[in-house]
Amino acid sequence: MSYCVNCGVELDPSLKKCPLCNTPVINPNELEGLTYEPPFPTVKGQVDPVKRKDLFLFTIVVLLATSLSCLALNLFVYSRSPWSLFIIGICLVLFVFLLPAFIQNKLPIYVSLLFDGISIGIYLYLITYNTRSSEWFFQLALPVTVLLTILAEIFTLLIHTFRFSFLSAALYIFAEIAVFCVALELLIDRFCSRPLYLGWSAIVLTVCSVIVIALITMLSMQRLRDAVRRRLHF
Amino acid sequence: MKKSQNQAASNVATSKLHKHERKVWYKLDLSAIVYPTLQRKDFSSVYRLSVVLKEPIQPDVLQQAADMTLPRFPIFKTAIHKGFFWRYLTPNHRPGPFVQPDIRNFCMPMSFRANNRYLMRIYYYGNRISLEAHHSLGDGTGGMFVLNTITANYLRLLGHEISNGYFVKDIHETPDPEELEDAYMRYANAKVCPPRPGEKTYRVRGTKEPFYTFNVIEGAMSTSEVLAVAKKYNASVTEYLNSVLLYALLQKQQNEWHIRLHPVKIAMPVNLRRFFPSKTLRNFITMVYPSIDPRLGDYTFEEIITQVHHYMRYYINEKFLRGDITTNASTQRNPVIRVVPLFIKDFVVRQFYRIVQDKNSSAGLTNMGALKVPDDMKPYIEKFDIYMGQPFSSRTNCAIASFEDTLTINFASNIIESDVERYFFRKLVKDGVHVTIQSNRD
Repeated sequence: MSYCVNCGVELDPSLKKCPLCNTPVINPNELEGLTYEPPFPTVKGQVDPVKRKDLFLFTIVVLLATSLSCLALNLFVYSRSPWSLFIIGICLVLFVFLLPAFIQNKLPIYVSLLFDGISIGIYLYLITYNTRSSEWFFQLALPVTVLLTILAEIFTLLIHTFRFSFLSAALYIFAEIAVFCVALELLIDRFCSRPLYLGWSAIVLTVCSVIVIALITMLSMQRLRDAVRRRLHF
Repeated sequence: MKKSQNQAASNVATSKLHKHERKVWYKLDLSAIVYPTLQRKDFSSVYRLSVVLKEPIQPDVLQQAADMTLPRFPIFKTAIHKGFFWRYLTPNHRPGPFVQPDIRNFCMPMSFRANNRYLMRIYYYGNRISLEAHHSLGDGTGGMFVLNTITANYLRLLGHEISNGYFVKDIHETPDPEELEDAYMRYANAKVCPPRPGEKTYRVRGTKEPFYTFNVIEGAMSTSEVLAVAKKYNASVTEYLNSVLLYALLQKQQNEWHIRLHPVKIAMPVNLRRFFPSKTLRNFITMVYPSIDPRLGDYTFEEIITQVHHYMRYYINEKFLRGDITTNASTQRNPVIRVVPLFIKDFVVRQFYRIVQDKNSSAGLTNMGALKVPDDMKPYIEKFDIYMGQPFSSRTNCAIASFEDTLTINFASNIIESDVERYFFRKLVKDGVHVTIQSNRD
């Protein structure tokens, strides 16, 4: 039986210090190594995962019904062009985008983003059935989709690896905008069989570079960073 | 062949029963409407009631007792659903709720879709049986009926003779329709709606604990000792303990850095069954707010207790309480509010609670008073514990219950500091009460 010398309360034998004032319990008469069963369990609990079976079924039914009815209409009524592929493709994209909401054990965000990129790629490929040539897809749409997916993955990786702040997020975004615009112009030049030349993207690159340098300066200087946070807080 | 026919007949009967029961649904009562609205990823309005027996709990027997008992309390065997305008409860026939080993961070957030959609949990640890229930099902009194009836059935399954009475219901009788009523609506008939108190009060400052941490400090003491001290101050036990908490909060505010002082106010639920006869097991409580304004001057403890004593006598009576519940009911009765879609109601109520209601009190205190059980059940029970659950914002909630000569005061908080608890228990010790402290803190 121990009492807290500060609070005057009797302490449960399992307590090593007074929970009211954090004074350690020192009882010379207490046998060393003697342990008491704590009055409360030591195991921590976790909230049960939520099963979203109904939402999953509802979404599947809605998307499948839409796709199948459009396919049937396309095959038997309005059959001049394979227009139903647009609808089927967008249903597929929607399903993939909603996938993280159905999965109980959280899907890693990198895998989710990869699936999103693949689904958009498939959707764009389905569009080629409605166009005269599929050249635009392989030379322009596919590389742009791949590039956007890679940039999204890099952005997520940076956000998760380094300490997040609005300034750091802005830095990544502006740097990625510059890379994307340059790559896009080069891809367009290649698609149009023009010599590879930086035109409008050079302006974007310059503006973004200035912003990126300014942001790096701010991030590396505590005083500047604080001043920006103070003035721009909301 | 005959067996399979019987089985088929029984399946048809069950399906008919379920088909019939599918039509049963319950509106949320006046208080229960608010609780699901406040639901967050890290917060649910969950309270806990515990009974400590004199022998270690046998989980399989406890499960049997729970399975036998819960059909007697249909409101506690429900799932919550969203309608377009309001939420509602439907009978839940999924398996469960299953008894489980207790955890350290109890009163965890309760997702409406997890745990087979049950809004209650049953835990066991050592000699302790604990029941956690979402406030949208019922208040502490309703929960206490469930816990005591489960405990009585548990003891009966172990071969003890336990009679019904007090908080123990007969599980063989059909539930009285009055047990399921929204009693607020029966008594919300005052001719005037008094305004709600809406004053900014002192907020306990503290370092928020990480998600899934729930700090409990429990003080056990002799009921007769506390009663004697309260008598010395010419007050009841509730008045005395309210005053001690106000005193602790005042001390905390005084010792903190502040530009100006704020009134210190306690949100205390009052069991309306004491004033308005009702057998309801759902929510039937309203809040009163005993307070001290330190801007008027320094209060001695005797002055605090006098103020609280007179406040309680003035406000806690049938007339004032009827006015209070009429004010609360007027919002729900308003035809314009009724037709507003649920998601807008949710948004408005959440903002109102966050900005006005939550700031209206510095701490919560509930006193379930002296809990009574049938005489033949007494020898098997050590004590009762009640916990108000996780506070909505960083503060401390205090819950009091007594059984025979053991009075327990449980503080539950989600902040690291335990200043309020320290001032509170030190005051009790100073007044000559012998306090034994237990805690789940490191």
